[in-house]
Amino acid sequence: MPEVDAATTGVGDAMSGWLKGLLQTLQEFTEQSARAFRNIVARPFYWGDTFLQMNLIGVGSLPIVVLTGFFTGAVMALQLSATLSTYGQIGRTGQLVSLSLVRELGPVLTSLMVAGRNAAGMASELGSMVVTEQIDAMRALGTDPSKKLVTPRLLATVSMMFFLTVISDFCGMLGGFVYSTVVIGLDPTQYWYSAIQILGMDDVVQGLIKPLVFGLIVALVGCYYGMNARGGTQGVGRATTQSVVAASVLIIVSDFVVSRLLMGFGG
Amino acid sequence: MAGDMAPQTQAAPAATAAEEPVLVFDRVSLSFGPQRVLDEISFQLRRGDTKILLGEAGAGKSVLLKLALGLLRPSSGRVLVLGQEVGTLSEDALFEMRRKIGIAFQESALFDSLSVRDNVGFRMLEEGSESDDAIEATVRKVLSFVELEAAIEKMPVELSGGMQHRVSIARALATQPEIMLYDSPTGGLDPVTATTIVELIMKLRDQNKVTSLLVTHRLQDGFLLATHVWEDGHLAPAPPEATHTSFLLLRDRKIFFDGSAHDLQHHPDPYVRSFLD
Ligand SMILES: Nc1ncnc2c1ncn2[C@@H]1O[C@H](COP(=O)(O)OP(=O)(O)O)[C@@H](O)[C@H]1O
Ligand SMILES: [Mg+2]
Repeated sequence: MPEVDAATTGVGDAMSGWLKGLLQTLQEFTEQSARAFRNIVARPFYWGDTFLQMNLIGVGSLPIVVLTGFFTGAVMALQLSATLSTYGQIGRTGQLVSLSLVRELGPVLTSLMVAGRNAAGMASELGSMVVTEQIDAMRALGTDPSKKLVTPRLLATVSMMFFLTVISDFCGMLGGFVYSTVVIGLDPTQYWYSAIQILGMDDVVQGLIKPLVFGLIVALVGCYYGMNARGGTQGVGRATTQSVVAASVLIIVSDFVVSRLLMGFGG
Repeated sequence: MAGDMAPQTQAAPAATAAEEPVLVFDRVSLSFGPQRVLDEISFQLRRGDTKILLGEAGAGKSVLLKLALGLLRPSSGRVLVLGQEVGTLSEDALFEMRRKIGIAFQESALFDSLSVRDNVGFRMLEEGSESDDAIEATVRKVLSFVELEAAIEKMPVELSGGMQHRVSIARALATQPEIMLYDSPTGGLDPVTATTIVELIMKLRDQNKVTSLLVTHRLQDGFLLATHVWEDGHLAPAPPEATHTSFLLLRDRKIFFDGSAHDLQHHPDPYVRSFLD
C-alpha cells in the first residue's frame, strides 16, 4: 500500500513540478520579451548592432531561402499538375502554386529555415556569452544586454523575415513557372497571369502578416534560450537545440492560429 | 549618512570621510529557489581596505561579488555601496552606480568579438560622452598601467590567460572605480604571472587607495598582500596596519572567520588549519 501511495505522489509531484517549470518559463519568457519590446523606444538605440544583425540574418539566409523557395515551387507544380491533369485542369497549376506559396509555404518554410539558422545562432552566441560571464560583464559595465543584444536581433529578424518571405514567394512562383513551361509546356503568359490574378487582398495580407509573427518567434525564442543558458558548453549546446525545436513548433502552431484568425475576419 | 549604519563603535573620535565604510554587507542572505547559498553575511570595508575572500569551491564567493555589484539581489539583508542600498536601486540606477565599482571576473569575461581596445573602452564607447581621442588616451593609460599597451590591437583569443586577466582589470579600471572586485584573478596561472597580477592589485591599493574585495584560491597571494606594500615601484615588507588587508573565510553559507592574517595563521580551528595547509 505505501508503495502505491509513494508512486502516486511521485507522479503527482513530477506533474506539478513540470507544470510549475513550464509556468515559470512562460513567465520569464514574457517578461524578457516585454523588456526587449520596451527597449525599442528606449535610448540608446543600437543602430549599428541592428544593421549588423540584419545583414547576418537577411543576406546570410538569402541563398537557402532562394533555393528552398525555388524548389518548393517546382515540386508543387510537379505534384499539382499531375493531379490537375486528371481533371483536365492543368492550366490552373499557376493559380494553385501561387496561392499555397503566398498563404502558407512561403512564410512557413522561410521561417523554419531562418529558425534553423538564426534561432540556433542567437541561442549559441548569447548562451556562450552567458556561460563565459560576458553578459554579467556587460551589465557590470553599465550596458543593458537586453537593449544591446536582444532588441537589435528582434527588429532585424522581424524586418528581414518579411523581405525573405517576399523573395521566397517570388522564387517559388519562378520554380513553378520553370517546371510548368519547360516540362509541362504550359503557356508562360497564362501561368503568370493566373498566378497573379488569383491572389486576393486577404491572401497577400495573410502572407505578409505571418512572417512578422514568425520573425518575432524566432528572435524571442532564440534570445530567450541563449540568455538563460546554464551549465557550461553543454548547456549552450542544449539551449541551441531547444531553441530550434521550440521555435519550429511555435511557428507551425501559430501558423494555424494566425490562419484561422485571419480567415475568420475574411468571413 | 553612512555613519548611522555602522554598527561597531568608532575608535577614532572624529569619523572622517576616509573612515566611512564604502561597502557594507548587512545580514545578507541569498537563496536560489530552495537552495540557500549565503546565510546572514555581515562585514564592511572602509576606504582603502582590502579583504581577501576565501572558501571552498561553491562556497558562494562569486555570488557574493555579484551581490556587491547588484548583478544579483539579496533574498534578505542589505548591501550598501558608497552609502546606496543596491537591492532597492532600479536597473538604470544600478548601471550608473557601477561606474564606481569595477569587477574582474573569474574567466576574464572579455568580449570575444571586440579588440582589446574596444573591450577596455567599452564603457566609454557605450556612453558616447567622450571624444574618440579622449577614449583612446584613457584606454592607453590603463593598458600601460597593466603593462599591456602593446596588445591594444589584439583580439582576446590571441592573449594568454594572464594577459586576459590583466586586460579585464584594465577594463574595470577605465572609469576609475573606487571599489574593485577581483574574482580569482590568479586562478589557473603560473606563479610568476600570478605574482605580477598580485603586484598590480597591490599597486592599486597603495597608489590609488582603491578599496578591494579579492577572491582567491591561492592563500600565498593573500598573505603577500597582507605583508607587503608597493613602494617606489617594487614590493616592500610592511607591518600589518600598513596593508589594510584582512581575511574572510566562508564556510557552510556563513562567515567562519573574519580577521587579520596573523589571527588566521594562528587560528586553532582544525578546519582553518586544513585550509591553510
Ligand atoms: N545563477 C545561479 N543559479 C543557481 N545557483 C547558482 C547560481 N549561481 C551560483 N549558484 C550556486 O551558488 C553556489 C555558490 O556559487 P559560487 O559563488 O559560484 O561559488 P564559488 O565560491 O566557487 O565562487 C553554488 O552552489 C552554485 O551552484
Ligand atoms: Mg567562483
